[in-house]
Amino acid sequence: MKQEHVTAILDDTPLGQLGEGELAAVRAHAAGCDECRRAYDAALVASSLLRERAAEELEPSPFFQTRVLAALRERRAVEETPPLLRLWRTAGALVSSMAATVALLAGLTFVVPSVQTTTETTDEVAAASDPFSVDAAMLAQDNAADEEINYEQVLTTIYESDGGNE
Amino acid sequence: MRLLPEDLKQASDLELARLARGGDESAFAEIMRRYGPRVFRVASRFFRQRAQVEEAAQEVFLKAFTQLPSYEGRGSLEGWLTRIATNTCLNMLRGMKRRPELTASELTEDESAWLEAKMAGAAEERHRAEERGRVAADLAERVLGMMSPDDRLVLTLVDGEDTPVKEVAEMTGWSESKVKVQAFRARRRMREAVEKLLAFSGRDADRI
Repeated sequence: MKQEHVTAILDDTPLGQLGEGELAAVRAHAAGCDECRRAYDAALVASSLLRERAAEELEPSPFFQTRVLAALRERRAVEETPPLLRLWRTAGALVSSMAATVALLAGLTFVVPSVQTTTETTDEVAAASDPFSVDAAMLAQDNAADEEINYEQVLTTIYESDGGNE
Repeated sequence: MRLLPEDLKQASDLELARLARGGDESAFAEIMRRYGPRVFRVASRFFRQRAQVEEAAQEVFLKAFTQLPSYEGRGSLEGWLTRIATNTCLNMLRGMKRRPELTASELTEDESAWLEAKMAGAAEERHRAEERGRVAADLAERVLGMMSPDDRLVLTLVDGEDTPVKEVAEMTGWSESKVKVQAFRARRRMREAVEKLLAFSGRDADRI
């Protein structure tokens, strides 16, 4: 033993399971061999670490059973659903969203331009049907203003042209 | 036929398994009550965070429920569940990334102090027992995090808990010789990792 390194013994058996005789031999050899002393020290620390780690206890929380049963029901519900229905449930959302997108695009393409045209003419139609409404009054004012400006512009143009001639 | 809660407590494992197989949730809940702590114990050898342990334990029971038809009652229900727990946790751990090599500079102050005190044989004087255990378990977890899942399994069971090789073989489905070889190699790898930590942190026997 004195001549043989003891690392093989340390690797072969957990330190805590070595017999008194083996342990004494390992210690005796380690006392005179640096390499084996380092190995023995490390084995001692490793053994302590593993025992402390193993001593840790963790109990199930009071809600553990409830959580597992809920997960179990969920899983069973999925498994009991017919495959085609499951496929539809999975793909249904995709199909529905695609249909909605197509409908939206169609609406934007065909309906919105006609809505804009309709909006432009709606005020005029409303004003024509009720000549005393606010819309009608504003339209009349706008038209009158347009006419005044036009008339003034005409006069200005005439005077300027006359003045220019004189 | 469903049993009353009081009767369920008296029912044999085989009877509970039969009822649970037929969809009786109360019977399955009784199985969880009986063997939840055992499954937690196995899972906590692989994982340290409560959330991870609970997740693993939940997966074990869900698998167990699915596999109940294959349980014929030849072995104990506890052994059967332990085997499912071991393999489930082993697979979960295999899917996770391993910690790179732990160096002495990464040790916390408490961990360095623990190592120093341990080597000086004065750990008892430095910390209260509970705190000492926590620090050592933290460090153990960090060292085990560098090991492969198979190494971790044999080290915690064989060296940490003195579980007989035969029992580990039953839990894992490995042969006894495979367990022994795995343990031999794992022990050497862990010893070398610790030796490096001690050497680099200057706390080997030369310094003490």
